[in-house]
Amino acid sequence: MLTTGEFEDGDDDVGQSCALFTLETLASTPEGLAAFAEQQPTSERLKEGITQVLNIIDNLHQPWLNGLELLEDSLQNKHVLSTGFEGVDLLLQGGLREGQLTELVGPSSSGKTQFCLQTAANVAVKNMGYVAYLDTGNSFSPQRIAHFVGQISESAFNQTKQKIIQKAMSSILCHSVFDIFSMFDVLRQLEFDLRSQMDRGEYRVPLLIVDSISSLISPVLGGSGSQGIDP
Amino acid sequence: MEVSSLPISASQRGKLISAGYTSLSSLSSVSSSDLARGAHNAWDMLHEEESMTRITTSCADLDNILGGGINCKEVTEIGGVPGIGKTQLGIQLAVNVQIPLEFDTEGSFMVERALQIAEACVEDMSEYNRFLRNDFQACQVKMQPTDILENIFYFRVCSYTEQIALINYLDKFMSEHKDVKIVIIDSITFHFRQDFDDMALRTRVLSGLALKLMKLAKDFSLAVVLLNQVTTKYTGGSFQLTLALGDSWSHSCTNRVILYWNGNERYAYIDKSPSLRSASASYSVTHRGIRNSTSNVKRVKMM
Repeated sequence: MLTTGEFEDGDDDVGQSCALFTLETLASTPEGLAAFAEQQPTSERLKEGITQVLNIIDNLHQPWLNGLELLEDSLQNKHVLSTGFEGVDLLLQGGLREGQLTELVGPSSSGKTQFCLQTAANVAVKNMGYVAYLDTGNSFSPQRIAHFVGQISESAFNQTKQKIIQKAMSSILCHSVFDIFSMFDVLRQLEFDLRSQMDRGEYRVPLLIVDSISSLISPVLGGSGSQGIDP
Repeated sequence: MEVSSLPISASQRGKLISAGYTSLSSLSSVSSSDLARGAHNAWDMLHEEESMTRITTSCADLDNILGGGINCKEVTEIGGVPGIGKTQLGIQLAVNVQIPLEFDTEGSFMVERALQIAEACVEDMSEYNRFLRNDFQACQVKMQPTDILENIFYFRVCSYTEQIALINYLDKFMSEHKDVKIVIIDSITFHFRQDFDDMALRTRVLSGLALKLMKLAKDFSLAVVLLNQVTTKYTGGSFQLTLALGDSWSHSCTNRVILYWNGNERYAYIDKSPSLRSASASYSVTHRGIRNSTSNVKRVKMM
């Protein structure tokens, strides 16, 4: 139910009449509503009120997109981030796709952290924006990042190479999170920052890495079922 | 210029300093949104890392493959068969750092041995001093072996609940004893192997412990060393020796070093590390502690 505070003129009549309708009614029969509004004595203001309410509801969910609009959005806005590993890029048909969640799974020491570090370095060097790196096991190695950035940057001169390394490494932001609630805090803050700077377009975070999510979830949900036999 | 002399309110100053920003230059490279959230960018962390101390193992070859020694702010797991020298390495590290903190779950910490290693350490230090100063006068070594022993805080843990309780208590302990630099747990597996029926509970408890230790290591710049035992695992049709506590635990530490026998020699192998190459080196356990192996065979093998 919407409060009358939502309406600009705060007119009691409009508020009262609208309070008669549940959200269900509003969503399902806007035409019937409009027709009903025509019959009311204060029809103009009622119609205004109804339009406002419908706008609020529309803003609460994403607009419907048709297939063509989705394709356009995917081509223009959802870029593909190369990981820096040719083979993996081939498997992923170009690389990591924005708007998608990619899970990296493997046994201990198989190279998951190295993959994350290399991808972070690659995205940072190719100036695609900031990289948010959430580290749960103190495994973030600035030394390795510097090494990868040095490998990727093509400039031969030492001085410019230093600058490239500095610029790239300054756009990799590392947070240490040791429990699931801190992770949620960091993510919420990130969402807030991104929303508030959406218009300016300078602050872009195309890549978010969590290394590793299972260590945060294990203490809460871990161990059931499949972990039974293997000690 | 120091943050402490900035014209800002005392509580803001306190917050900046406790977050690690003590000079103006460290502030200048951080953006306002970073400061607000305590994120560090990789460039700053690189410089911090260069100035971080590492704890030597007293064996030059071992130190080499470790990149200088055991790293602070990281949790290192060291595992091996019984008798390979895990406890000896633990005691050596406890002596090499001035203020270590040692947990003993197995009762294998021997004070006399620690004293022996401490005495050897003091002798080595005074010899090194003489070498540096290049004069023939006897140098006053300020540290006595008993001082070293005094600086080892020892806790004997008798059950897994005690272990959990102690690790929870460490947070408070660390804020009271700010100069503790290393925490050694010998061994992390002991109380979780016997009479633990609920495997699911064990996984949850262990992963919770691992995270708490990670946080301690990061917040207080400690080195955390966990000694682990081995067990046999049936893989690919044969029984293999592997570290205890299973696959889920193997992800929990930052680094892992495996100690093993190769003929008559003791070797250490870097099994997991975000920044060190896979390599193995030999070492020996002498009456003076952990030292370089004396064999003539080429010792360090890069993989």
